[in-house]
Amino acid sequence: MNKSSIALVALVALVAGFSISWFVGSNKPVELEAGTWFGEQARALPQFELVDQNNQPLTRNSLKGKWNLLLFGYTHCPDICPIALQTLADMTKALDDPDVVDAVRVYFVSVDPERDTPEVLASYVSYFNPGFVGATAAMDKLQPLTRSLGIAHQFRNKTADNPAYDVDHSAAILLVNPAAEFAGLFGAPHDPLALARDMTRIVEYN
Amino acid sequence: MQRLILALLLVVPIAAQADLEISDAWINNLPASVPVRAGYLTLHNPTQQAVTIVGATSAGFAGVEIHRSVSQDGMLRMEAVPKLHIEAGATVRLAPGGLHLMMKQPAQPTSPGELYRITFEYADGSRQSLQIEVRK
Repeated sequence: MNKSSIALVALVALVAGFSISWFVGSNKPVELEAGTWFGEQARALPQFELVDQNNQPLTRNSLKGKWNLLLFGYTHCPDICPIALQTLADMTKALDDPDVVDAVRVYFVSVDPERDTPEVLASYVSYFNPGFVGATAAMDKLQPLTRSLGIAHQFRNKTADNPAYDVDHSAAILLVNPAAEFAGLFGAPHDPLALARDMTRIVEYN
Repeated sequence: MQRLILALLLVVPIAAQADLEISDAWINNLPASVPVRAGYLTLHNPTQQAVTIVGATSAGFAGVEIHRSVSQDGMLRMEAVPKLHIEAGATVRLAPGGLHLMMKQPAQPTSPGELYRITFEYADGSRQSLQIEVRK
């Protein structure tokens, strides 16, 4: 083996090492003030396929490479969902490091696919922040994702003659790391500035 | 005497129940595609007796109800509050994540800065109106 081959092997090993440590490093200990960090307990998400507000598929792979905050809800929800989305919009505004802004994605996943079509979701999420992603899918396609994230949801009084039904749902904001693992959660009520500080810590420490 | 009766008739419905002090009233604006809005306000009862709100209306909305967001079994759900009691001297806040006005089907899309009128009906039949501002 000549010197250049050794150098190449060393370089490959170095790059591989960095790649591995980058994924493993995604779960380094971080003290969060507003949420729970799973650390080494982070769990890989299963495969899933939703549709985003532009009618494009949203899959587990779509989440890779970013720190993703997922909120589940429905647009006909008057109180909790708009407040949580506004909190996430305020959090985004409060992030002052452009690298952190670039590393964080916000998703609103509707558990009310019949009323929340991609068109409805498009006007809804962009009202809060044009960068937010809205997504949904039929119930059987939502379940792999909601189950893996511990999101409970059920219709209340949904009948053919009641278009104004409610949907009970979990209000936590879920954190999915760049390896598409469920890495932490932020329980309600949410504080935008605390969320911004936590996301900055997470992105900068990892 | 007739004048006195007339005067009493005019005065009594208003005096039957002293007004609540209502502050911090606002409607959380949402895009036109959403047919509901939440309204928030603070109700203070400065009187010596409990007051009960039994209904609410607003000309700009098909219906107004008092709801409460309740956490149960790891989920949040909304429950109707058909009667809202405010004890003598008490303050009740309708605020995000808890009690709120569920305002259904705005006649027009709402926008920040607009003022709507809400009328509360009390258990004794008296009414009280207030202005509430749409905010983002």
